[in-house]
Parts: sequence; C-alpha cells; structure tokens
Amino acid sequence: MNVLAFDCSTQSCSAAIVAGDRLLARRSALMARGQSEALMPMVLAVLAEAGLGWPDIDLLGVTVGPGTFTGLRIGLAAVRGMALAGGLPVAGVTTPETIAHAVPKDERRGRTLVVAIDGKRADLFVQPFADDLTPLGPPMALMPAAVADLAAGPLLVAGDGAGRVAAVRPDATLSSIQGPPDPEVLARLALRRYLDGGALPPVPLYLRPPDVTLPEARV
Amino acid sequence: MLVLGIETSCDETAAAVVRDDRTILADVVLSQLDEHRPFGGVVPEIAARAHLDHLDRLVAEALRRSAVDLAALDAVAATAGPGLIGGIMVGVTTAKAIAAVAGKPFVAVNHLEGHALSARLSHGLEFPYLLLLVSGGHCQLLTVEGVGRYRRLGATIDDAAGEAFDKVAKMLDLGYPGGPAVQRAAAAGDTGRFALPRPMKGRPGCDFSFSGLKNAVRLLVAELGTLSDQDKADVAAAFQLAVAESVADRSGRAMGEFARDYAGPAHLVVAGGVAANTLLRQTLAAKAADCGFTLVAPPLALCTDNAAMIAWAGLERFRLGQSDGLDFAARPRWPLDPGAKRLRGAGVKA
Repeated sequence: MNVLAFDCSTQSCSAAIVAGDRLLARRSALMARGQSEALMPMVLAVLAEAGLGWPDIDLLGVTVGPGTFTGLRIGLAAVRGMALAGGLPVAGVTTPETIAHAVPKDERRGRTLVVAIDGKRADLFVQPFADDLTPLGPPMALMPAAVADLAAGPLLVAGDGAGRVAAVRPDATLSSIQGPPDPEVLARLALRRYLDGGALPPVPLYLRPPDVTLPEARV
Repeated sequence: MLVLGIETSCDETAAAVVRDDRTILADVVLSQLDEHRPFGGVVPEIAARAHLDHLDRLVAEALRRSAVDLAALDAVAATAGPGLIGGIMVGVTTAKAIAAVAGKPFVAVNHLEGHALSARLSHGLEFPYLLLLVSGGHCQLLTVEGVGRYRRLGATIDDAAGEAFDKVAKMLDLGYPGGPAVQRAAAAGDTGRFALPRPMKGRPGCDFSFSGLKNAVRLLVAELGTLSDQDKADVAAAFQLAVAESVADRSGRAMGEFARDYAGPAHLVVAGGVAANTLLRQTLAAKAADCGFTLVAPPLALCTDNAAMIAWAGLERFRLGQSDGLDFAARPRWPLDPGAKRLRGAGVKA
C-alpha cells in the first residue's frame, strides 16, 4: 500500500511516501509561514522522487493538530481537495501522537512522555503518553506550569515546546525529538491507524475557540 | 472550455462551474451570516474555520449539479486575494490540490477582477467599460480596458460603502448585515427630515469618502437620544439617500472622464454587494442616462460574493494563455490597478 502523508501543523512543511514498510521519498523544511506555497510543490516532488503518479497512491495521511490554526487548515484543505479529486481515503493522526512515535524506545522506558507543541501563545498544546505510547489523556491546551503536574514520576518531554516545560520542571528529561512531526513516522502511523480503524477524519483539532476580534471593533 | 471556480475571501463559501459560452452550469454559495451575526461583522477566524468545514462538500456539489467530472475541466480557479487571508488560504490550497491531482492548470484569481468581469458573464459586454465596484470591502471606479488591464479613476479614502451601511445599521440597532437592514428601515422613512452631508459631492476627481457621513449619523443619533422606530427609519432614509447621491456624483465625474478617453458605446457597470441597494441603482441609472451611459447591473447573485464570477475570471485569463504555479502566494492586498496611488486611510482597500 502506497501512503502519501504530509504535515503543516507546526512550524514546518513536510511530506513523505511509504510503500508498506519501505520509505520511498521524504522531504521537509522548517518554516513559520509559507506552507500554502510550499506544500503542493513538495508533494509533487516526493511523488516524482518515488517514481509514482496519483493513481499509484492508496491512502493519504495527515496531521489533524493541535497546532497552528493556519498551518492545520493548509494541510487539511490540501488533503480534502486531494481526497475529493482522487477519490482517496484519508487517515488523520494527531500531531502529538505523530511526534510521540518518533521518540526512541530507550528514552521512553520507565518515563511518562509529554509531547508539548508551541502554538506561539502563553499555553502549550500537550498530550501525555505511557512509555509504550498508550495515550494517558486527550490532547489539551495547558499553561507550562500545569503541564508539569501531568506526571508525578519520571518525565520525558518532546516536541518544539519541550524546553518551555523543562523550564518549570527542571527534573524532566529532554527527548532527542524536539522538532516538528516527521512525515515518514506520520505515513507509517497513518497506515497503521487506517488498518486498525483508529484513524481520525480530516477535521481540525483546534482545542481553542476562535479569537473573536473584529476586523474593526469600533464604530 | 469548462472552469471550476472557488471563492473563500470573506464570509461566503462558494464553488461554481462555468463554460466559455457564458453558461453557469452550477453556482453553489453557503453564507456564513448566522455564524457572524452575533458579532456584528465578519470574524476572520470563524470565517476561516467555516470555509474549511464546508468547501470540499460544496465543490463536490457544484460538480454534481453541473454533471461535469474533473477530467472534463480545463482549469481550476480560486480567489487568491484580496480579502481575509485565513479563508483565502483554504480556497487556494483546496484548488491547488484538486488541480494537482486532476492534472489541470491552476488559475489564481483576483477577487476584484471577478467582480470586474462579471458583466461579461451576465451580459457579454465588450471592453472597454466603466466599473463602479461597491461592496463591504471596496468602493472604487475603474475603467476596464481588458482582462488584467484596469485604470483606477477613484476609490474611497476611508471606509467602503458597505462598511458605512454596516456601521450605521449598528448605531441604529437594525441588525447585521447593514445593507439590507438599512434599506428595509428606510422604506418607511422620510428623506427630508434630517439633512446629512453628501461626501465629496462636487469635488474634483472621483474619490469617495464615507467616514464623515458616518460621523454625522453618529452625532445625529446621539442628539436624538432614545430612538423611536420612526426616528430610525428617517435616519436610515436620509443616510441611504446621502450615499446614493454621493456615489452618483462621483460616478458622474468618472463617466465624464471615460467619455473623454473612449469613443463609442458607453456602459457603466455596477457590481459588488451594495449594488443590491434599490435606491442606489435608481440614482445611478438616472445619472448614467444624463451622461449618455447605459447602466449594466449583473443579477444580484453575481453582485454579492460568488464563485461563478471567479470561475469566469479564471476562464477569461486561461483562454488568454495565463495560469499560475502551485507555489502561488495568496495576496491579502491586491489592487486591480497597481499603478494607482495607495490611499492610506483605506487600508488594504485601495
């Protein structure tokens, strides 16, 4: 099964294609903005590198957040447009779960893993996992101090917000994974979730209500 | 030639399919009015979320209604600016994805060009013509010389006409959106009870201004204190007449300029949501007749935001050999006439 997966949900844009267990192509670029310009050329580049055309793709994988609102919408608008045009199924995976699955086993052993994503606000998007990657709760938006209370025992923090958690929990161990989701991990996880029925629909997980600031508030 | 169009630049999510013989095969519009009404204006984040929630379904519906499959399309067009960037990105990204998978060219459309060319879709109008674009976000007069060829004669130096309607409706507690609300209230009003200024009337040039008029209404409302329904109706009627006369005066000057520059039949096209105002249309029709112009008003469904005009503008560009790369960057500000002077007070509008 050929899986094309991509992520724009944090401060990067990335895409990968896996054929079953085999990685065929993978690209990623860090960017705070510009995913709407970068994503489709990157997707076409991984298709070309994999030597595949659209009819060869069997499944689309995408991160559904939480993450930056605009980035989330770019990834999800793209996947929904592709699904419509190609008649393809979509497997959504949360952004913290994708990051968690990149954390090496030996780092996780005996520790609670908290993935923290910096949405460039006061709070962080976080999700706790057991050392075997079983989620210990849903993704949440929490202040760093509250994140510190998520685990009483040994704590491992990953994701681009890991440093902000470690600042209030000096005993926490920093994971080697402190960047954006890895598109290869995403593609493999999307396939697994598609097959085990745990895939999410391509619907954004914002976790925050919209900011209601009018374009011009005063009359 | 068949083109799919997508519009997501403000608070309407829309998809349409048009053919080069000017047939609209499908035109699906979902208004987000109910989602924004409690805030008395369009909330960008609410709009962006709603566009993502509904756009793919609306595109599928437009294709189904037009009985066209993607393989039969010649191009995929989407509004790429100007407007609220969060929503525009949803539409542009969706269009790029569909275009990439279907192997079709992507055409990035200037929303204002959609309005500008809509009279060619509805009426088959030939170039050149004079365009008055009046909406919630824009108020300008342009000569339309060809696809991509515009010359701005005038624009608002502060608020757009539609904005003024929304704000006055808010002051009078008439509800949202303001255009239809003010028109409804004004129907029972006496235009002669209150004297309001006619902004810019008689001044050289073709620029507009509505902020002084808006302030005059604010002062009047403060002076009246508690407003009866009749007070509201009379204020609404006076305001609506002032806008119509001011816009007609500015348009009259533009018609004069146009007539000096171009011989032959002269048409004034009125487009944008505020073109739905009956008094404005009547006043403009009379002014156009005085100036030897024919007023062309596309049907209302093509005046308010819609995707048929976007598909059509995309089609007009595509048949001239123009299309855009999948790396096209959406443009929150995208004037039709890049050579025209930036009018500071108008923000992104001009």
